[in-house]
Amino acid sequence: MATQADTRPALRFVSPTGSRELALLAAILVAGAYFTLASPYFLSVNNLVQTMRAGLELGIVSAGMTLVIIMGGIDVSVGGILAVSAIVIGKAYQAGLPVYIVSPLGLMAGTALGAVNGFVTTKLKVPPIIATLGSMYIFSAVMFLVIGGSWIAGLPATLSPLVNGWVGFVPAAAIVLFFVYGLMWIILRKLAFGNHIYAIGCDEQAARLVGINVDRTKIATYAMLGFLAGLAALLYVARMRNVEINIGTTIALEAIAATILGGTNIRGGVGSLLGTLLGVVFIRIMQNGLVLTGVSSLWETVIIGSLLIVVLTVDAVRNRNNPRAI
Amino acid sequence: MMFKMTGIVKRFGGLTALDTVDFAVEHGEVMALVGDNGAGKSTLIKTMSGAHAPDEGTIEMMGKTVQFRSPQEAWESGIATIYQELALAGKMTVVDNIFLGREIKKPFLGIPFLDRQSMRAKTGKLLKELDVHVPSIDSWVESMSGGQRQGIAIARALNMDANLIIMDEPTAALAVAEVRKVLSFIKALREQGKSVVLISHNIQDVFEVSDRISVMRHGRCITVRETAKTDPQEIIGLITGAHEVRAAAS
Repeated sequence: MATQADTRPALRFVSPTGSRELALLAAILVAGAYFTLASPYFLSVNNLVQTMRAGLELGIVSAGMTLVIIMGGIDVSVGGILAVSAIVIGKAYQAGLPVYIVSPLGLMAGTALGAVNGFVTTKLKVPPIIATLGSMYIFSAVMFLVIGGSWIAGLPATLSPLVNGWVGFVPAAAIVLFFVYGLMWIILRKLAFGNHIYAIGCDEQAARLVGINVDRTKIATYAMLGFLAGLAALLYVARMRNVEINIGTTIALEAIAATILGGTNIRGGVGSLLGTLLGVVFIRIMQNGLVLTGVSSLWETVIIGSLLIVVLTVDAVRNRNNPRAI
Repeated sequence: MMFKMTGIVKRFGGLTALDTVDFAVEHGEVMALVGDNGAGKSTLIKTMSGAHAPDEGTIEMMGKTVQFRSPQEAWESGIATIYQELALAGKMTVVDNIFLGREIKKPFLGIPFLDRQSMRAKTGKLLKELDVHVPSIDSWVESMSGGQRQGIAIARALNMDANLIIMDEPTAALAVAEVRKVLSFIKALREQGKSVVLISHNIQDVFEVSDRISVMRHGRCITVRETAKTDPQEIIGLITGAHEVRAAAS
């Protein structure tokens, strides 16, 4: 029972107080300032645009991951979905199909695999971490079985402008990110569907009681993350013009890290897209800056890992009296 | 008659939890349901609210025979149960909670956008009708007191067009001032012509707000009394079975 009145408005485009977003912004500025002083290359248009292009897939997948985690779920198989979608795209290109067939095929593959995850967690009642761990193994096995340890290379450059192009002074990659986050924000904050995602994350039983179709909402949300993983695969192929064997191996954990750093509660019910976007920016700037300053990239993972533990510990301590909160 | 149950039997294995129970609530009536622990109150309200299907007997809501396979179906027929846990989403605002699953939408280009303005306005009106005071309708429900949450849960039931509102121990674990508030909510519901089933262990609360009292004992509804024509002592006697002892002695 609350002992004191708490009148903070629930501004859900940021986290309830906006403090996490501000803290991340400060961290990004501090890290950026340090890297600018430490390396002459960091604060150049070329470097920053390249960093954004390289982080495009992570940014897109993290937006979907935010919705899934707010809903109280998790998906560790997005890397596998991305990989399988990329193979579908690569094979379709190799079969000589035109881009307007190839692109929907890739997106459909991702959506279908995401929906399978949703189906297994809701209808078969497997906890999401186990269900998606299982599907991650299956998806990577599928990838090896299909491409047998070699790359799919020399794919056409028809979609490359989506990543590498410019619209006036604005990099196309930034426009893609803007559209994805804008769309996800509308779904999360402007439609009833988004309210249902928050409600399921808060209290699934309560959501069921008021007549929300919990299973359908969950499957749709996992499918949406799958769709975004398919889109990320499309942009990956556009950027690299090949499909490597190690595609997507780190993206699931990075997306979860960016989401949690951005203030989304790992137990669901609370979270913001802006926080996630800042989390992605922070992770990518750390990776880029440390490489430029000659520090082993291993340190980047140590830093991100430590920050995650700090963030989760602080949240846990702050809410230790509330069993439902983390 | 708003709500009527006839000959309800519910068995769990060899145990008969409800033994041909008849139970009815009039329009605009507050019916208290009392009984000792294990008397069958919980099983009976679970049967009313769709959580249990009865083995025998019929349920009528506003003259129509109904069968509930889930709490949602009971909600849809206008029976809202407000459990002690309240089933509110703590980390959502008052407005979001009241309209959860019943959002008002304003389509734009065919997309059903949420109409937050209308929902806020209607929330303000609902809370005013019940005289519920909250710090802000944009605050998280989690941050509110037990009485305020009861008020929000009732407002949500009203927003869902509930005609029969079942309240399970609404005043348990509340401070004195909050108890007064919740009892005033119940009176406000009666004034709006809604029917209320009040489950309570607090005989004082029962006598303050109820019109009639149903007493349960050993899985049976042993009697229904008009509140004005009985007194707490008689009701406590019925609950504990003292009247049986007296009858046996005489």
